[in-house]
Amino acid sequence: MATASLIADSTQIAQGAEAVSDPPSRNTTRKVYKAYIHTSFDSDAKVPILLKHRFKKQYRHPSLDANLTRARVAGEARALLRCLRSGVSVPGIRMVDATEGVLGVEWIEGKSVRMLLGGGAEGEEEQVSDSEEFFDDTTDAGGESVSHVDPLDEYQVTIDEIMGLIGSEIAKMHKADIIHGDLTTSNMIIRHPFAAKGPSPTKLVLIDFGLAYTSTLVEDKAVDLYVLERAFASTHPDSEPMLFAVLEAYKKGMYKDWTTVERRLQDVRLRGRKRSMVG
Amino acid sequence: MPGTFKRSPLKRPERPYIALGLEGSANKLGAGIIKHDSDGSTTVLSNVRHTYITPPGEGFLPQDTARHHRQWIHSVIKDSLKQAGVEIHDLDCICFTKGPGMGAPLQSVALVARTLALMFDKPLVGVNHCVGHIEMGRQITGAQNPVVLYVSGGNTQVIAYSQQRYRIFGETLDIAVGNCLDRFARVINLSNDPSPGYNIEQEAKKGKKLLPLPYTTKGMDLSLSGILSTTEAYTYDKRFSQTVEPSPESDTITPADLCFSLQETVFAMLVEITERAMAHIGSKEVLIVGGVGCNERLQDMMGIMARERGGNVFATDERFCIDNGIMIAQAGLLSYRMGSVTPLSETSCTQRFRTDQVHVAWRA
Ligand SMILES: Nc1ncnc2c1ncn2[C@@H]1O[C@H](COP(=O)(O)OP(=O)(O)O)[C@@H](O)[C@H]1O
Ligand SMILES: [Mg+2]
Repeated sequence: MATASLIADSTQIAQGAEAVSDPPSRNTTRKVYKAYIHTSFDSDAKVPILLKHRFKKQYRHPSLDANLTRARVAGEARALLRCLRSGVSVPGIRMVDATEGVLGVEWIEGKSVRMLLGGGAEGEEEQVSDSEEFFDDTTDAGGESVSHVDPLDEYQVTIDEIMGLIGSEIAKMHKADIIHGDLTTSNMIIRHPFAAKGPSPTKLVLIDFGLAYTSTLVEDKAVDLYVLERAFASTHPDSEPMLFAVLEAYKKGMYKDWTTVERRLQDVRLRGRKRSMVG
Repeated sequence: MPGTFKRSPLKRPERPYIALGLEGSANKLGAGIIKHDSDGSTTVLSNVRHTYITPPGEGFLPQDTARHHRQWIHSVIKDSLKQAGVEIHDLDCICFTKGPGMGAPLQSVALVARTLALMFDKPLVGVNHCVGHIEMGRQITGAQNPVVLYVSGGNTQVIAYSQQRYRIFGETLDIAVGNCLDRFARVINLSNDPSPGYNIEQEAKKGKKLLPLPYTTKGMDLSLSGILSTTEAYTYDKRFSQTVEPSPESDTITPADLCFSLQETVFAMLVEITERAMAHIGSKEVLIVGGVGCNERLQDMMGIMARERGGNVFATDERFCIDNGIMIAQAGLLSYRMGSVTPLSETSCTQRFRTDQVHVAWRA
C-alpha cells in the first residue's frame, strides 16, 4: 500500500520537542516521520514532508480506537484547511489517509518555542537519602564549561517577538472559530531564518491540530487559552510576563471580541481553582 | 541533567520517628501509624479504616458523614494504636487532613486531632490530602519520579513533580472520574458496599458491547459530565433492559454494557492524558493513586501504555489507594522531619486546597 511504503522509506524523527533528546523508538503517542515526495510527476526534485502516523493504541478498545483514529486524522486535516483559508500560519497539507491514520504536511525547518525558551525536559534525578554517598559533599552540580550559542540569536528573534506572534496567530485562529485544543509551547515552531525564504512568511507556525475542532463558543476559546496558560506555567518558570505579552497581542487581534473572552477566561481560571473543592 | 544528582534535603533520622495520621475528608475515616527508622526504612505499623456506607441509590451528605466520623473516631484511633503497639506518648506528631474535602467531615476529624495534641502535648501537622496519596504511593511502590494520575471521588488530576511542587498538568474540567462512576452506579441502583466504583468494575466485566459515548479530552484536561449524561440517557432508550443477559448479537442494552462502555471510554481518556504528560516531561513511570486507582482495568490499560513507552505503571491495592490514615501520617511525617509543624491557630480546615499549593520541602 502506498502510504505504508512511504512510511517505510522515511526517517522517524524524535517525537517533537517533547522528547528531543530521546531515541525515536521511545515515542508512542503518534509516530512522526520525515519523508520525501516528488514535487511533480515529471521532476526528480523532492521536498521533505512531515508524516504523522497515528498507530493503534493497544490499551484502547479496538473499535473505539479505530473510530478515534479516523475522526482525528480527518479532523486535523479539516482544521488545517480552515486555518490555511483564514490566513493562520500553519503547515500546508500534503496527503491524508484517514483509515491508515496518516497525515502528511509541509515540513517546517525550525525549533519549537519550548526549546527556544529552554524548557527542555531534563529528567530530574533524585538521590534517596539512605545511601552513603548522600552524606559526602564532593559531588558538584557541575561547572558551566560548555559554551553554547543562544538559540534566540541564531533564530534572530526575541522572546517579546515570539510572544507577540503566539498571541496574534491564536487570535487569527479563534477569529476563524478554530479551537486548537492543545496549545503548548511544543506545538509552535519558529522557522529557521535560512528556511524562511519566499514572501516573508510568518516566523511562527502553529502545528499539531490533532485535537482541534471548530466552535463559536466563547467558553471554548477561553479554555483554549487556559490550556496554554497552564502549559506555560508548568514548563517555563516565571512565565507570567511572557503570558501577559501573549494576551496583549491576542487582545489586539481579537479586537471587539476580547472582552467576552477575557471575562470567560477569568471564570475558567476560577473554576480551575474551585475544582479542588472536594478531596 | 545526566550525571548530576540533586541531593534529597531529607536527612536520615538520627532516631526512629513515629506519627499518627488522621483522615476523614470524605466518607472514609482512617487512622494510621507510621515509623521512619534511623536505618532509613519506613514501616506501616497500623492502618485502620471505617467507611460510611449509604443505601443503594444514595450518596453521602456532609452532615451525616461527619456524624459517622464522630461516632467511630475513638475506636478507629484506639485500634490503630493497639495494632501498632504504641502509646500516644510515643508519637512525635499528630497529622491530620487539612483539605481538600467536605467541610463538616474534615472539621470533625481536625477537632479530634487538636484535642489529642493539646491533651498529650504533641505537635500538629496539617496535610494536603492529595499530597498524602502521592507520598504514600511513592513509598509503597518505590516509584522515584513518576507522573501521577490521581483519580478519586473528588479529584482527577495528572501531576508531575518539579522544583518542590507537585504541578498539575491536566485535570477534569467538570466532575471527577470517581464521582462520574459513583453517580452512574446510583442511576442503575448498584450497591455502595464496599464502594460503588468496585461494583461498576464487577458489572463491567459482564458487558458485551461498546456503545458510543463522547470522547472529550482537551489537551491534558478532560471533561466527564457529558459522558455521564449520555450514559444515563441510554437507560431511557427503548433497547435498555435490566433483566436481559448481555449479549453481543442482540441489540438490547444492559447495565453491564453501559458500565463496560463507560469504563472503556473514560479510562482510555485518562490513559491518553497521562501519556501526554509523560511525553511532555519525558518520564517513563506512572503512578496511579486515589480510590479509582484500585480498578484493575484502569491499571491494565495504563500498564499497556507504559510498557509501550518502555516504562512501568505503579499502583497500590485498596489499603493505600482508598483514602486512609497512613498516607496522612506519611506525608505529615516527611514534612515534620523538615521542621514543619502547624500552629494551633492555623489548624482550621479548608475545602479548597490545591495540590500545587504545598511546598514539597522534603524532595530535591
Ligand atoms: N510541519 C512540521 N515540520 C517539521 N516538524 C514538525 C512539523 N510538525 C510537527 N513537527 C515536529 O514533530 C513533532 C510532533 O508533531 P505534532 O504534530 O506536534 O504531533 P503530536 O501530536 O505527536 O504532538 C513536533 O513537536 C515537531 O517537533
Ligand atoms: Mg505536539
